[in-house]
Amino acid sequence: MSRQSNRGTESKKMSSELFTLTYGALVTQLCKDYENDEDVNKQLDKMGYNIGVRLIEDFLARSNVGRCHDFRETADVIAKVAFKMYLGITPSITNWSPAGDEFSLILENNPLVDFVELPDNHSSLIYSNLLCGVLRGALEMVQMAVEAKFVQDTLKGDSVTEIRMRFIRRIEDNLPAGEE
Amino acid sequence: MSRPAHRKPGYHKTNKDLFVLTYGALVAQLCKDYEKDEDVNKYLDEMGYGVGTRLVEDFLARSCVRRCHSYSEIVNIIAQVAFKMYLGITPNVTCNNSSRNEFSLILDKNPLVEFVEELPTGRSSLCYCNLLCGIIRGALEMVHLAADVTFLQDRLKGDSVTEIGIKFLKKLDKKNIGRKNEK
Repeated sequence: MSRQSNRGTESKKMSSELFTLTYGALVTQLCKDYENDEDVNKQLDKMGYNIGVRLIEDFLARSNVGRCHDFRETADVIAKVAFKMYLGITPSITNWSPAGDEFSLILENNPLVDFVELPDNHSSLIYSNLLCGVLRGALEMVQMAVEAKFVQDTLKGDSVTEIRMRFIRRIEDNLPAGEE
Repeated sequence: MSRPAHRKPGYHKTNKDLFVLTYGALVAQLCKDYEKDEDVNKYLDEMGYGVGTRLVEDFLARSCVRRCHSYSEIVNIIAQVAFKMYLGITPNVTCNNSSRNEFSLILDKNPLVEFVEELPTGRSSLCYCNLLCGIIRGALEMVHLAADVTFLQDRLKGDSVTEIGIKFLKKLDKKNIGRKNEK
């Protein structure tokens, strides 16, 4: 159904509560469709991937960031520009691996979970897993294969929400990203 | 999964493209789940209703709108304050009947369809943005106003504009706006 976005003259900004509630409706629907949490998590990741491969173009156009020279610069751009732009928060970047190929994003606030409690029968649900897919899909379009996963989650009682990002390899081929 | 909203510090005004693409993922998922467009439309409306019943609290807190005295005031607030706040657009409002209980919101631009060129094959009756109708209906119900809200025209279906019709179901009794209706 999709095409290139068409810039109109309306405001580009919105209050995020409508997004938060719509995201909740999406997760709820997936929980109806799939019996177990692992399948919901996988589907959220896949959807996020497909969103990420489109969103990156919009992001690069709006943000005017230049090419990143290393994974540290990439981390800064993700936390300080992308998260700020789309979710209104700036996660902190911590826990760099000695090789510089892994880091954590610490989200003290996660607007996606503003109205959410996980029910008891969904203890393995990674509610915000769409974000991991978005990161993965977006970075793939700039030639980086990464893994992104939640390692802490306030919805599960942790004190913060932590996404661990791991650089796998640079993607040399410029094949168009297929939809998963 | 939801609990009552409570006001967090920090007010999130964000770029809406992530929302627009997530909305597309929601519609696509419902299209996988339901063969008939009518069913997808129904579920979008129901989901929207659930969203609207919660969103209205946030809206009233942020917008500080005062008590309304007519349906046309209410519709103007929906168009000029709510749509602006949550979608960044301001639809035009028209009143469709002399009893002044039927109105239209004319959306010149609709950000939800920014990445959508056309409806998929076999989905010609899909009301892609039907979540919005449910949201308006749910939000109005929480302020004790019953209304039918539907798409009357849709650019995705080849119409020249996108038009949402709001029909208030009870004859206006100024005393009762915002209060529980007597049965």
